[in-house]
Amino acid sequence: MNKEELIASLKEIVKPYVKDPEGLKNLDENSDFIKDLKINSANLVDVILDIESAFDIIIDNESMEKMLTVKAAMEIITTKLSEK
Amino acid sequence: MTGNDIIDRATAAAESNWKRKGFLEKIFTLQEQQYIHEAASPGEMVWKLWSMKESAYKVYTRQYGGRFFAPQKFNCTVLSRSAGKVDINNVTYLITTNTDKKYIYSIARLDDPGNASFMNCCFRITGTDFGKQQQFIYERMISHYAMVSGKERNDIEIIKDRNGLPLLYCSQDKLSIPVSITHHGNYAAFTIY
Repeated sequence: MNKEELIASLKEIVKPYVKDPEGLKNLDENSDFIKDLKINSANLVDVILDIESAFDIIIDNESMEKMLTVKAAMEIITTKLSEK
Repeated sequence: MTGNDIIDRATAAAESNWKRKGFLEKIFTLQEQQYIHEAASPGEMVWKLWSMKESAYKVYTRQYGGRFFAPQKFNCTVLSRSAGKVDINNVTYLITTNTDKKYIYSIARLDDPGNASFMNCCFRITGTDFGKQQQFIYERMISHYAMVSGKERNDIEIIKDRNGLPLLYCSQDKLSIPVSITHHGNYAAFTIY
């Protein structure tokens, strides 16, 4: 999966939880889940669970700690996929 | 220093399914999961513990800086219906929780006698526009502080510190006070100091 495809699938995953439609429209690598997309922190758990099932990976607590931006999510997914 | 967090129970029920597989395990320690399973209302306990963690996170990041998502590190102990504590990395926060039919509201503070003097206010807010909500809460906070302190309303404004966290600033006496703001669904609240 290339970078663009990864961003596109993350965009689909976060969509139901995004409170700011503008943020979703402008979503890119630098988007912050909470500051830009206004995802509430309880829904961030849903995003993480959805990523786990979409990519069939386990996101441990240490990785979860950094899951605040699209970029961090992409790095974690890529790392976890390469470990499979 | 204080932090606060409010949860609109109807909004939480509509937007989060805490019963979904893996949800509780990602957020809560084994002890906290035990509280939930043993509670008369498990859903109420889920959101009570969540608001305890969030309110403590706000004080912790104010003290030490940084941002992270590690809900399990904020270790909750429930002491009574309204009292609790949260421990993280050898720091303890005292928590007061108000469990209303409509909302759950927690305030976290350091165990410090000087903290006894903080102000807080919890109220209903309507309208969903994110930007407008924030302005409304700021206005409420300024009015509240002006009324309690007897200072001129026009001398008070909300500014951000270098980490982007809000401060109440009074130009009359050049005093800046840390504040914590929370809103969720139809409810909002703030603490000053």
